[in-house]
Amino acid sequence: MTTTSFEPSPLGPEPIESVPLVWQPAIDIGWVTSTPRQLAWRRFRRNRLAIAGVVVLAVLALIAILAPVIAPYDPIKPDLKAFGKPPSAAHLLGTDSSGRDVLSRLMHGARVSLSIGIVAVSIYLTIGTILGSLAGYRRGLTDAIIGRTTDTVMSFPSLIIILAIIPIVGRSIFNIMIVIGLLNWPAVCRLVRGEFLSLREREYTLAARGIGARDRRIIVRHILPNVTGPLVVLASFGMADAIIAEAGLSLLGLGIQPPAPSWGVDLAAAIDVGILTNKPWLWVFPGAAIAISVLSINFIGDGLRDALDPRGTTVIRR
Amino acid sequence: MALLSVRDLVVRFTTEEATVYAVNGVGFDVEQGETVGLVGESGCGKSVTSLALTRLLPQPAGRIEGGTVEFAGRSLLDLPEDELRHVRGRQIAMVFQDPLTSLNPVLTIERQLTEGILAHEELPPGEAHARAVELLKMVGISDAERRLKSYPHQLSGGMRQRAMIAMALALRPKLLIADEPTTALDVTIQAQVIDLIRDLTSRTGTAVLLITHDLGVVADMTKRTYVMYAGYIVETATTAELFARPRHPYTVGLLNSISRIDSDDAGPVRAVEGQPPEQTRPPTGCPFAPRCAWRLPICWHENPPLRAEKDGPIMTTGPGASHLFACHHPATDAELRAGRPLEAGFRAAPRPTPATPDELAAPVPT
Repeated sequence: MTTTSFEPSPLGPEPIESVPLVWQPAIDIGWVTSTPRQLAWRRFRRNRLAIAGVVVLAVLALIAILAPVIAPYDPIKPDLKAFGKPPSAAHLLGTDSSGRDVLSRLMHGARVSLSIGIVAVSIYLTIGTILGSLAGYRRGLTDAIIGRTTDTVMSFPSLIIILAIIPIVGRSIFNIMIVIGLLNWPAVCRLVRGEFLSLREREYTLAARGIGARDRRIIVRHILPNVTGPLVVLASFGMADAIIAEAGLSLLGLGIQPPAPSWGVDLAAAIDVGILTNKPWLWVFPGAAIAISVLSINFIGDGLRDALDPRGTTVIRR
Repeated sequence: MALLSVRDLVVRFTTEEATVYAVNGVGFDVEQGETVGLVGESGCGKSVTSLALTRLLPQPAGRIEGGTVEFAGRSLLDLPEDELRHVRGRQIAMVFQDPLTSLNPVLTIERQLTEGILAHEELPPGEAHARAVELLKMVGISDAERRLKSYPHQLSGGMRQRAMIAMALALRPKLLIADEPTTALDVTIQAQVIDLIRDLTSRTGTAVLLITHDLGVVADMTKRTYVMYAGYIVETATTAELFARPRHPYTVGLLNSISRIDSDDAGPVRAVEGQPPEQTRPPTGCPFAPRCAWRLPICWHENPPLRAEKDGPIMTTGPGASHLFACHHPATDAELRAGRPLEAGFRAAPRPTPATPDELAAPVPT
């Protein structure tokens, strides 16, 4: 066997320094990279539509919050001198057949739509997350029971249920929030369950169990933070859906009780051949308000999805 | 009474397709403050054994089918889950192979460092923070205050493993189970991490069960070693004895498969031929027989128990631990160097043809 031999250095062997216990990296790599949040924000910022969506939604939210202050007229009290007048200097977006200012009604309607979006989504996000994480983490019988319940609720024809329930519980903004919330959690539940099924097998979950953490602590502190990305995306699309749902219900006469202001109520009031042909300001503006808010939220959702999940695999839009 | 005493541990994984006989009656002891190695190739049941000790096997597939685990006088396999939780982390801590996957990517180092402390103790947040800083300093991470705020991906592999060690030792456990703690690290960092574990555990008197396939790490760090193969412990001795005079052909093969700086003859590095068994059937005979050059006909159908070379009392722990091996036909010193049996005309016994019920009466062809 031939071996390569080294010529001994004429200077003698090089001194070998002992490895110090306190270890200083040669290059401080740690501070060049960013936190997950910074990375996501950088990706989100690149999406112009999403940024536009954020701006529009922020303006809408501001209008909704400040509606009582900035709305030029009372949304319910009619202006007895102006019935069904087209846009003018006094009434920027015109008045409806009862003489109510369309702009003021839209501003107040934004409060209804946005709050329904937020509250209804919060309700079903909470239910879905709790049930989904239990099913995905515990598996077995818990999973089977929750899974079948999910299937059952999903198989309900939601419109029929709403048609049946609303007349009983009454037409109010809170009832709509609750009904939408109670009917939409299965999608969240399935998403969270799926994520948990995979995350519970990760080594860090094992490590957390290995240091003696309780199940609840593992679910809430170790696994749930890993699901926030897909959840935020789902929530944003859910908000858009909830706004459309409210408008649709009001249109069918099952939503907000007129004369309370709501975009859907205003649209419903415009269903009349005379208004559709001769008074477009009564349906164009509420319709545009719905379209703009839903679109901007969807753009934000798209942006969030791309930013939080670059592989684009975990969230499937309904 | 040893700190940890495992007897006849049997673990099986049951899935719809197959049953895996992962651990088949393993027994070992770890004394207080002792550093013990558990070596074997991938899939031989080392990690499964370590997870079974604190009942962390993946559920519902992994089942402990038998045996006892005594830790500090308590039977861990009979402990209710809630009491076992107090043993995990506080008395038995674990360090896993890959610090990147065993750290949660979305939590800061501080959150994860304090996790173990907060899981067992009520502490005001300020105190937990101070402990975390102290822990990072203990494992030699400089600039602890800033490192605490970073996420796992912002640390280098070595730093991540240091953080894992800090987490494991946060509560001064009696036993540290280190499952391939250096495998995911590059060689220069490996040495530092081994030094660190040895240094810290000897300071606190923590016993270490080191699980690895790296014989270099075993030689470097442990006082006593168990060799595992296909879910069995096939040989155990003090590390010095095991490296000097291995008896089981598998251990001989393992030692011949690494290059040793202390051997006088620079023989070639030889791999252990063949593949480990699939472990999907209940084992019959010696599990190593199909790959063994020393095998006798009896090896095919009778699995030898662990026995001592000499008669006399058997010591299971400490520097005077007995040399035990499970082999019908152990290698001699001369054969160790040659890596094959040296008896004149010896040939490994051929595999008997599988007997069907009809053939059982007929003589086995030779």
